[in-house]
Amino acid sequence: MSGASGAGSSSLMNAAVEAHDLARTLGADEVSVSVSRSSEISLQRRAGKLEQSQRATSLGLSVSLLVGDRFSSHSTSDLRPEALRAFLERAVDATRALEPEAERRQADGALCGRGTPDEVLDQNDSTWSALSASDRGEKARELEAAVDALPHRNRIISATVALGDSSSESVRVMTNGFVGEHRGTAFGMSVEMTLEEPGGRRPEAWSHYGANHQSDLPNVAFLADEAWKRAEQRLASGPIASGRYPMLLENHAAGRILGVIGGPLSGSELHQGRSCLAGKKGAVIGSSKFSLYDDPTIPRGIGSRPWDGDAFRARPMPVVESGVLQNYYLSLYYARKLGMDPTSGGRSNWVVPPGQRSVAAILKDMPKCIVVTGFLGGNGNGVTGDFSYGIQGMLYENGEATANLSEMNISGNVLEIFHQFEESANDPYLYSSVRSPSLVFDGVQFSGV
Amino acid sequence: MPWFSQFGLTEAAIRQVLNDALARGADDADVYFEHLNSTSVALSDGKVNRASTNVDLGLGVRVVVGDSVGYAYTEDLSLASMREAAQVAAEIAAGGSPRPVAAITSRRMADRYPVTKPWEKVDMATRVGLVRSWEQMTFAADPRVKKVETMLADTQKHVLIVRPDGRMVYDYQPMTRAFVSVTAESHGKKESAMANIAQRQGIELYSDDQVQAMVKKAIDHTMILFEAGKPPAGEMTVVLGAGSSGILLHEAIGHGLEADFNRKNISIYADKIGQRIAPKGVTVVDDGTLPWARGSINTDDEANPAEKTVMIEDGILRSYLHDEISARHYKVAPTGSGRRESFRSPVLPRMRATYMENGSYSPEEIIASVQNGIYCSTFSNGQVQIGAGDFAFYVRHGYLIENGKLTRPIKDVNIIGNGPKVLETVQMVGNDLEIDIGGWTCGKDGQSVPVSQGMPTVKVEKLSVGGAA
Repeated sequence: MSGASGAGSSSLMNAAVEAHDLARTLGADEVSVSVSRSSEISLQRRAGKLEQSQRATSLGLSVSLLVGDRFSSHSTSDLRPEALRAFLERAVDATRALEPEAERRQADGALCGRGTPDEVLDQNDSTWSALSASDRGEKARELEAAVDALPHRNRIISATVALGDSSSESVRVMTNGFVGEHRGTAFGMSVEMTLEEPGGRRPEAWSHYGANHQSDLPNVAFLADEAWKRAEQRLASGPIASGRYPMLLENHAAGRILGVIGGPLSGSELHQGRSCLAGKKGAVIGSSKFSLYDDPTIPRGIGSRPWDGDAFRARPMPVVESGVLQNYYLSLYYARKLGMDPTSGGRSNWVVPPGQRSVAAILKDMPKCIVVTGFLGGNGNGVTGDFSYGIQGMLYENGEATANLSEMNISGNVLEIFHQFEESANDPYLYSSVRSPSLVFDGVQFSGV
Repeated sequence: MPWFSQFGLTEAAIRQVLNDALARGADDADVYFEHLNSTSVALSDGKVNRASTNVDLGLGVRVVVGDSVGYAYTEDLSLASMREAAQVAAEIAAGGSPRPVAAITSRRMADRYPVTKPWEKVDMATRVGLVRSWEQMTFAADPRVKKVETMLADTQKHVLIVRPDGRMVYDYQPMTRAFVSVTAESHGKKESAMANIAQRQGIELYSDDQVQAMVKKAIDHTMILFEAGKPPAGEMTVVLGAGSSGILLHEAIGHGLEADFNRKNISIYADKIGQRIAPKGVTVVDDGTLPWARGSINTDDEANPAEKTVMIEDGILRSYLHDEISARHYKVAPTGSGRRESFRSPVLPRMRATYMENGSYSPEEIIASVQNGIYCSTFSNGQVQIGAGDFAFYVRHGYLIENGKLTRPIKDVNIIGNGPKVLETVQMVGNDLEIDIGGWTCGKDGQSVPVSQGMPTVKVEKLSVGGAA
């Protein structure tokens, strides 16, 4: 259904090289062109019926230009040759009106390339192309059947199951000599269900899993069961007294709290004077028990990649090691602006090393602990480090769940929260680019009634 | 038709695509053509150093069978690709006799966003001059300002929607958005805040008054943070300032009244039409008709005219927000609320501009009535669980209220509550309704659409405030 002819990425490569050369001819000194094509299919079932079916193939081109050290970026889905030429002409012209910044120049081509071979990253499931419409329809019915087979099915007032998959290929061509091709597949499955309780509340819950390879997804019964357990945890929920409590943050939800460090670590925020972590590289920002790594090389990792935004070879780096801040996220542009060495402009996989004990063993040792299972709203201030998020979860006392919690907030500060870190559980979550186990923090500020 | 050339279409081609969509016996279908051009220019570090442009062109085909939807899209408007998309979308239908396509006639819609100076005629140098002048105004306004970022963006979207009953609607949907972001330093401390405006207008939006107001807001919202602290934690009385506190309505009520959630029985407001859900004096509307508002639309994305929908009238729940699927389900007229992010996404019932109508109290009376509580001035984001009804919104800054007076400034706090419970405890509604001019964007099912929101000053008996104990 796309405008490009041919099936393989050679047609994408031709399109990228042509656009690159045309932009150069039109007056750009440096050009980076990416062309990508993706095919995606999704199905949704509810109440025994197919509720939605969606299928499309999409093609797009994006280009960044340097014209006399003036920088701009552009994208289009209109790849008709005459339209593309007019698009690039306008793009080059628009760039001339800006002010020059030599920091935007492309990296030395020798530093660019593939960090990890594609066969090691293993992000492309070769079985994707053999999947038929009836395979997908059958899988969706199996997922719905797994929900219908739950022992308390009659208490579920609505359940929607969904599955989706996609295959994408992209190429990138740069004036510094970099040429790259990448292919990947993605598969996802989810169950969403709603229960009803006296008083009219209809608590909802989800289970959702994504992976590069279909065989890495959990089975349908696991998804159905997990959605049910999470829905049950939301029944008869409410707030408890405000105060400081130990917090066990479930592995799948860890990204929200780890994420508070993300903004202040970024080159743009450091450069704009909006980072509470400015000047803290090499300083202790957390407990010696806390480490966080960025690793783009993990086979089948959701956030794995062969190269980064500057086309630098992707490589692992410590972010925080034993409580000490090791690296910022610096693209070449911000590194030059800040007079520092570039690392990478954006995160790949975040890895928190797992601990020894299970969640159950940890909770058993705690007289009182709030288990946070999810978040609602909230935000932070990267300049001061303050953050505040709505939470849902459970109160545990000596290993037993004694109350389901909602309508509560946590608040804290980037410069304090990692000092409050106590322990990682032994359950790393592998279905996200945040590969964290469940995490225990001490003395977290909760507000309720 | 003049706008066929916008997409390189013919009426015969559109008929063919609709015929393919209906070929397997669907109940209904639509074709949605979109051509979008956008440009943005940004200044940081003292230089107008980034520009970007985006072109998007494509067709989305939706096929409807009962409550079920088949969807496909293509960026290639050749007849072959458009027909393939229609055939893929039509696979949702089981096979049956095709519905005929009626004679296509163009419908005129209201024009709620006429543009005086269209963006197509604005050159890059003019845009560069604007963001540069905003930077200079900001630095000149306060010596504590250390860094300034400014940005100006505009989008021209042309859409053409055709239905099997022959309705054809064309709409030109302009949008512009600008922001000023400030980082300031005072006594060794840093703070940062921004202000933005967004409307469906041309460059005429950026009058001296409008720009001065934006710059003043960015500076005021930054400087107040130097004096602000954390509020206390726990349940307390909350007064919402007029304007962007409409975010409370958006989260606490708006999403829950989108009819798809009710049709599926998963909203806490399902089965509550005709019932009292708020005290007398509380009227909440979702309005697509405000002139130039970011959330306004002449037509929704199913070719139905936008309207002002009264959702809660004097405390009684009157209407959900309907697209055609939910309207058929409930046997009511659609409310012109069927919207989509782009041709890549199917239509869903969505909000437009959500606000509470004026009450009778002055803002001063409302603040004076509170012994202990907080007053919320600026907001950044919110979220809701439509079944449980729990919602949250994040307050950038506000004030403590002590003995009926605004006292110490507060900042950075999440507020959480339960929609129906909060609605029941709306105690006073002010007479100072203000529709916020900020660039709000609403997300649902992975689709973002521009919205507006507004509110008079309102007092809510209690909400849980995420401060420090």
